[in-house]
Amino acid sequence: MSAVEVKNLSKSFGEVKAVNNISFDVEEGSIFGLLGPNGAGKTTTLRMIYGVLRPDSGSVRVLGVDVWEEPRRAKSLMGVMPEDTGIYPRLTAEENLIYFGKMRGMDEHKLRRRVSELLKILGLEEKRFTIADKLSKGQRQKVAFARAILDEPPILILDEPTLGVDVMSAREIRNMIVDYARAGRTVILSTHNMWEAERLCTHVGIISEGKMRYVGKREDLEKLYEEKEFEEIFLRMVRGEVIEKVV
Amino acid sequence: MRRLFKGSSGIVKFTRGLGQVGYGLPKRGWIVVAWKEFLEAIRDRRTILNVIILPLILMPLIIALPIVMISPRTLPPKVMVVVCDKNATDLVNYFNSISKEADLSIKFDCKGNYTEMILNGNIDLVVEVPPGFSENLSRGRSSQVFYYYDPLSTKSSSAIGVVQEPISSYSRKVLLDRLKEVNLSIDYVNPVVAVAKQVTRSGGEVGTGEMITAMILPMMVGVIAITGAGTFAIDMVAGERERRTIEALLTNPVSKMEILLGKFSSLIVLSIISGLSTLLSTLLGITLSLELSLPGLVSNQAMKMGLPNPVYAILGILLTVVLGGLTGNAVLVAASSFAKTFKEAEQYVGALFFVLMLPMMIVPYAPTSLHPLLRLLPITSLAMFARDTILMSDLLAISTSLFSSLIYLIIFLILSAKLFGRESVIFG
Repeated sequence: MSAVEVKNLSKSFGEVKAVNNISFDVEEGSIFGLLGPNGAGKTTTLRMIYGVLRPDSGSVRVLGVDVWEEPRRAKSLMGVMPEDTGIYPRLTAEENLIYFGKMRGMDEHKLRRRVSELLKILGLEEKRFTIADKLSKGQRQKVAFARAILDEPPILILDEPTLGVDVMSAREIRNMIVDYARAGRTVILSTHNMWEAERLCTHVGIISEGKMRYVGKREDLEKLYEEKEFEEIFLRMVRGEVIEKVV
Repeated sequence: MRRLFKGSSGIVKFTRGLGQVGYGLPKRGWIVVAWKEFLEAIRDRRTILNVIILPLILMPLIIALPIVMISPRTLPPKVMVVVCDKNATDLVNYFNSISKEADLSIKFDCKGNYTEMILNGNIDLVVEVPPGFSENLSRGRSSQVFYYYDPLSTKSSSAIGVVQEPISSYSRKVLLDRLKEVNLSIDYVNPVVAVAKQVTRSGGEVGTGEMITAMILPMMVGVIAITGAGTFAIDMVAGERERRTIEALLTNPVSKMEILLGKFSSLIVLSIISGLSTLLSTLLGITLSLELSLPGLVSNQAMKMGLPNPVYAILGILLTVVLGGLTGNAVLVAASSFAKTFKEAEQYVGALFFVLMLPMMIVPYAPTSLHPLLRLLPITSLAMFARDTILMSDLLAISTSLFSSLIYLIIFLILSAKLFGRESVIFG
């Protein structure tokens, strides 16, 4: 079974067609990279997958659950780190995690234990009682990541998880993503960092101007283009070269 | 707990395998939201300012300070009595009775530039007893006493009341003496006496305090209810949008209605705290100013905040604060849904405050014949509900104002829920 099934998804904002009839499946246990230039429709697609933006047409199913028919059940299967970390600045790092854990129906005792554990392994133990407003961008990003994996959901969705983060924090986040997928969970992430996509993603979907240009294994794409540089492949795809060959 | 795989970063550790089910759904998501909103609100410096500092410190000061400043007791006016008639000793004795309420000086020298002294603030009021004062009285004529004051100075103007009392007493004494001489009673010069008879539902006498209660309290309670948690209401929508936290919140398995319910629950608590602290501080301000300016008056039964039934009144006040808080917050949430930032929302809401408060201001001054209509109109129905409950109006009046308040509340809640759920509101 596919972890995520996206069928004929479309979304317009006024006259602008942000996402235009895209379909793809994400295999369980894969790291699926949704790649594309700025304004390509990555975030809009992800928002429709994790159920905060209603599509004009089409459907999304996560582990067989329709996101718009059973939103609560579907959302309980996904851990999300949106483009904006969404950390509450007036709450401490710990309070932020406990709040979201409770929102996901976690048991109080287990939640507190899990929060302590995550803060420890993320190197945020000392920042536990620090108001989030005082945390660095990288620390806030790590708190947001911890929040997304709090209840170990089977699907993890990350929108630009390392954007604006320092090298050390970015590396830690990337390691965690790999760990997560290796445990059989599915990760969907959007990025426009091709170096990151090349090292992390097992599968990619390349989106440009709201249309899906390619969906499949990253390795297959590399073979198809006979290019060593993934970035070069991406640029050629986005420019529209030999699109017919792959879609 | 197990490490994921050999050679991995070891950062992520799982406590349960994929086969384990039971990914949770919160049972009472709105309570979690309410608690978080409350926690955030009390961490905000604006909360301390709006809920504690402003009401508890500033309100009594704002009310009491002007009264205290013009009160003859706290700052007695400087009154100079200039006696140009050495025979007017009787009147001078009457003036001596005001020595506690005024810084009194009596001068038997008619020379001096009193105008300049008053305008410079050296003296607040000058009473002049002109030459021939006693002679006129002894001949059965009327005599004039002049007082000079600065109409632009509140202290000078308030001193008039202080000096009028001994003059009136003396005048009455002279009148009684004259009537005695011709063997007439005081009734001869007061042929018609008007006597006021109060009409109350309770049948008892209504004191000044009760009249103040009937006039001011319903309006005050309504205004407090509607504007009490205004800052928080706009912060919970426009602020959340500005801080870009709402998207992450919506990724959880809770509905928008639960989130809104949680936010409103927290606003109600803040409304009650803010409302009660403002109410208490206002009452404190009134008591303080009365005690300082007119000693002994507060302990006078007539000046107490007379309430026909304190239990009904407290219930009425609390219910108005809750209903008004919900109504006002629903309106403010709806209005701030259009703003991208907290600052922008404040500008929208600033204008809206007047729109909400204006109907409240009408209630105390509206004629009784308009009361049935006011019970049916939005916002005024709230003030009428408070008034009807505090004064124990008939059951039909109370239920009419309550019912229409509830109807408007539902309308405003639906409106705010619809606006809050819009994608353009969430994502700007």
